[in-house]
Amino acid sequence: MANTFDLNRRTFLRGTGAALALPFMESLSHAKAAAELPRRMAFVYFPFGVALPKDGSPGAEWNWFPKAGKTAKDFQFRSVLKSLEPLRDEVTVMSGLSHPRCRSLGGHDTGDTWLTGHRLAAPTYSNAVSVDQLAAQHLGPSTRFPSLVLSSDGGVGEPTRSTTISFSRTGRPVPALASPKQIFAKLFGQTTDDQQARQRLNNTQSLLDLVLANSKNVRGKLGARDQAKLDEYLDSVRDIEKRVEQSQKWLEIPKPRVEEKTLDLSATPKGPEEYIRVMYDLMYLAFQTDTTRLATYMIGQVAGATTIANSFPTAAGQQANWHGLAHGAGKKPEALGKFDQFLVAQLARFLTRLKDTREGDGTLLDRTMVLYGSSNSRTHNNTNYPLLLAGGRGLGLQHGQFQQYDAKTPFANVFVTMFDRMRLPVDRFADSTGGLDALVS
Amino acid sequence: MNRWISILLLSALASWVRADERFEKDIRPILQKYCYGCHGEKKQKGKLRLDTLDLNFDRGQSAERWHDALDQLNQGDMPPEDEPQLTAVEQAALTGWLTHRLKAAAEARRSTGGQGVMRRLTRYEYANTLRDLLGVKLDFAKDLPPEPASPDGFKNNGLALGMSAEQLEYYLAISRTALGKVIVEGDAPKVVKARVEKSSPIRRVKGVTGNTVVPGAQYLAKFDEFPREGAFRLHVHASAKVPKGAGLPRMRITIGVRADVQAPQETLVVADVKPGAQVLEFTGRIEDFPLPGHNPKYPGLLARITNEYDDGSGFIKRKPKKPKKGEKAPPPDPDLAKQPVIEITAVEFEGPLFDAWPPVNHVALIGKPGEGNEESRAMTSLKKFMARAYRRPVTPKETGAMFDLYRVIRKRSDSFEAAMRETLALVLATPDFLYLVEPAAAQRRALNDHELAARLSYFLWSTMPDATLTQLAEAGQLRAPKTLAAQVDRMLADPRSEEFVQHFTDQWLNLSGINRVAVNPQFHPKFNDALKVDMRRETQLFFAEILRTDASALQFLDADFAMLNRDLAQHYGLPQTDWPAGVAFERVTLKGDGRRGGLLTQGGILLANSDGEQSHPIRRAVWLLDRVLGSPPAPPPPDVPELDGNSPELRNLSIRQQMEVHREKAACANCHRDIDPWGIAFEEYDAVGRWRENWRTNPKAKPQPVDALAKLADGTELSGMAGLKQHLLAHEKERFAAALTRKLLAYALGRSLEFSDAAAVSALTQHFEKGDYQLRALITGIVQSEDFLTK
Repeated sequence: MANTFDLNRRTFLRGTGAALALPFMESLSHAKAAAELPRRMAFVYFPFGVALPKDGSPGAEWNWFPKAGKTAKDFQFRSVLKSLEPLRDEVTVMSGLSHPRCRSLGGHDTGDTWLTGHRLAAPTYSNAVSVDQLAAQHLGPSTRFPSLVLSSDGGVGEPTRSTTISFSRTGRPVPALASPKQIFAKLFGQTTDDQQARQRLNNTQSLLDLVLANSKNVRGKLGARDQAKLDEYLDSVRDIEKRVEQSQKWLEIPKPRVEEKTLDLSATPKGPEEYIRVMYDLMYLAFQTDTTRLATYMIGQVAGATTIANSFPTAAGQQANWHGLAHGAGKKPEALGKFDQFLVAQLARFLTRLKDTREGDGTLLDRTMVLYGSSNSRTHNNTNYPLLLAGGRGLGLQHGQFQQYDAKTPFANVFVTMFDRMRLPVDRFADSTGGLDALVS
Repeated sequence: MNRWISILLLSALASWVRADERFEKDIRPILQKYCYGCHGEKKQKGKLRLDTLDLNFDRGQSAERWHDALDQLNQGDMPPEDEPQLTAVEQAALTGWLTHRLKAAAEARRSTGGQGVMRRLTRYEYANTLRDLLGVKLDFAKDLPPEPASPDGFKNNGLALGMSAEQLEYYLAISRTALGKVIVEGDAPKVVKARVEKSSPIRRVKGVTGNTVVPGAQYLAKFDEFPREGAFRLHVHASAKVPKGAGLPRMRITIGVRADVQAPQETLVVADVKPGAQVLEFTGRIEDFPLPGHNPKYPGLLARITNEYDDGSGFIKRKPKKPKKGEKAPPPDPDLAKQPVIEITAVEFEGPLFDAWPPVNHVALIGKPGEGNEESRAMTSLKKFMARAYRRPVTPKETGAMFDLYRVIRKRSDSFEAAMRETLALVLATPDFLYLVEPAAAQRRALNDHELAARLSYFLWSTMPDATLTQLAEAGQLRAPKTLAAQVDRMLADPRSEEFVQHFTDQWLNLSGINRVAVNPQFHPKFNDALKVDMRRETQLFFAEILRTDASALQFLDADFAMLNRDLAQHYGLPQTDWPAGVAFERVTLKGDGRRGGLLTQGGILLANSDGEQSHPIRRAVWLLDRVLGSPPAPPPPDVPELDGNSPELRNLSIRQQMEVHREKAACANCHRDIDPWGIAFEEYDAVGRWRENWRTNPKAKPQPVDALAKLADGTELSGMAGLKQHLLAHEKERFAAALTRKLLAYALGRSLEFSDAAAVSALTQHFEKGDYQLRALITGIVQSEDFLTK
């Protein structure tokens, strides 16, 4: 039963994919860089690190990293990454990398820094722009939404325990969406009345002009701290102005039609399997319809007992919560390993869907780089992140390898390579020292 | 006394007061022995010189350098491997000292100089304000991102409340939807009235369906015609049959599309049904419920009524078989005979509801056609609306600018109503509405009466001032102490004060923690997640009862009554004769064993501070110290691993023994000596708050007796919860009163307290103590205080 349903759904989506390509191509023909197919990036983060038992110790097969061979190509997946075997040629596993500036932060404090590489310092813990948001700024209005920001907890959380991995130009957390229904409505909800939508955008713009014009007046009457708060508001206004301009252009182009029925939008984090799957499905659809080219998903954040995702392992049949599993992984790697195996299976499903969808001469996966990993290796240790880069062969990445780096190589070098493959003019990011040649064919 | 010492005093961590002394005595010798050799007078490796590095952490760059040093120590990078290493005790002393000092410095830097900042409305304040401003009840906050809490636990802290483009877009969308509901156009919609008597026959619905609803059975009312927008009313004609000893049947009404699958249906209400014929009235907004699409197979709106009474004997699954010819009817299920039953005679639907056409709220906003031309109507409307939305008189310049915007919008719109909808929706996206703005002066200044009215109403109602407050503000009478006291009385008597009870109780006691703990069914197979809602409600109602009856707030520490419904009383193991009749909460007098009474034994508190499997003495202790006694312990340093209860060496030890092992580690002992005993005293209560004599390491393990005998760091012995409560009432009254005063003041002001508030806190605490610990006296005192009346 389940299989036929899956097949039907997939064929259906493939069908719509073809139909959808048209408006997108038309829209692009107006833009400057017309001829080329999209280049995309997705970033998926999980908290608390992984099990890393030593070779020969009991439970060694639950070590997250593959068993290295004589050369980088000559490696063996162990139990956790096993479901990636059919995708072996689409994946590079990387060990040894981390953000040097973030190594001395608290083990629970680095989720915020995974995509920024910025050292968070008391008392403000201010952050810097994340990879996806910097890319969004460069890509500009080539898609309806510059980026898609998702997390299981939603919102922004608090500094060092943010519930989003995306940070704006000014280092402010970008609120993440958590409800599948809400995400679907944002991406594909059909506005019945375009005329009305256009009027509303114009009206909003008029109000924003008015607010900005007034603000000088108001600002002068405020104390310094109030001014900072008002500036935060005004920055938001300016951001919306830009979005409004962008939306006005996009209004001319209808949103892609995606059948809601093909998705389990009622999934909640109480059923992690269905929930994580639908989050991946939404990213997939957003890419497939070229609604956005950048997506982040924070499966869980590192705030110990206080988050939704911490109970994912319990809901998925494990004995302890995520944090507890991570702490127990030293002695009992199997429990955390099994949960990581579950997470990787969801990732593999997402990659497979991308791979099964044609685009141009290749597949969707060929032009989508997916970075998956954590900012802890084991029990909140901020070095040797478990990392996996998939897809993007059509953009010049090469795979089927296990690259072992040493602690001198900053993780940000991966971002530099990704920016390069996105053809974006960013040759330095955070503390990067260059790109990583081994990733490029 | 220098500044950081002042801040330490405020933090009520008395041990820090001796910090300077401690540096010379304990810390400098360690630095001298291990660090000054390379980072001292002679050498300054890495350009770092520690012996002269400024000890005043809240100025200059020294705090950052010390922070680096702490990181290096924690990571084991310093001292270098080939140099002598610190002993564990020295390491703990040095990192402990640095951590405390850095935390204090961080607090100092967060300081707002004792002034509130321009504060955005919280999610719930925004929703309540919109409701009162427009007169529409809708779940406005549904789509807004969740709010972060400040370090002291409050969600209305101006500094913590941020803004983003995404958030602002939601505000725009929400206010447009809302105005769309209030300002109408065209003819009055057709009102649908329908009545269903016999349970609607629907194909493929499994289970027992009919007008007699036993636990597990259902009654279905299908309405083929229904409105798709607006308020509706449901009248349920019902009666209950309640066998002796049983509770009242529990009716759940869900509304949605289909009954043969689980989704999509949303609950309208869960309520008790009492014996005797009655008509129960429930109202809602139809768009809050999943509506049927245009699928001809399932055309109608479905109201489903179930009986959820559960005494543990289970629900009826299918109809009993009819006896074949010649056979005797089987005797009725004995369990079923003891179950309370709901008899439904009819269900009536009516909607959309409106008082007039156009509705009163519409007329209140934009007037009636014929009351002047469009432009004069727009101007009148804007003047009135903006003053209410901004919670202050508006200037002609402000209304003029908005009127200009209206003119621009009018040109783009099809009708006057559409233009007004847009204009007013946009007013609700300005900072004047979204924030509580109190312009600053060079000096601390008195609030004007309108600012004061807003502070007061957001404090006690979490919404905008009502007409009475606004009139008092306009007349300049509000700030008189007597008027303020009278207004506090009036406001606390008003149902809107339920907002204060809910949000303050939630945030003070961190009740949202209840939902964050996932209860492991392997450990607690009988625990029903629905109890979590009851637990949260219990604590809120307990607070409300103490507030409304002017009882002593010391009853938070121990009380001879509890606010319970049947499920909770059963969960707590009270004698069945004391159980309330149903889902409604009642005040229950506690007699006998002393196992319950006060906050500390409430299920929500115990559950939120567990891990969903086992009790968690450390979490419970930290909660007690932080929330009840106002002395939060410092967070653990990053290099200290958590206690791993699954490790073989610890697995079979009692939690108490595990903690003793924990404390033997030098790095932990320092802080945990002062923390752990408080939590041990809670050990008679399991993870989900039930009283116990035995506990198990895992569901299959042998039970072992609970050991709740605790010894505080000063040697005081506490024998379990009874001992803890006695101790608190005998020796910690002042600390508790000061802590509650601080929490209430921080909530009232919407900011964290600082050293400059210390005098106010102490005066208010005395006032509170002298007023027999009555919350009303404390609230009145706060409202009349300098802190509250000035910016």
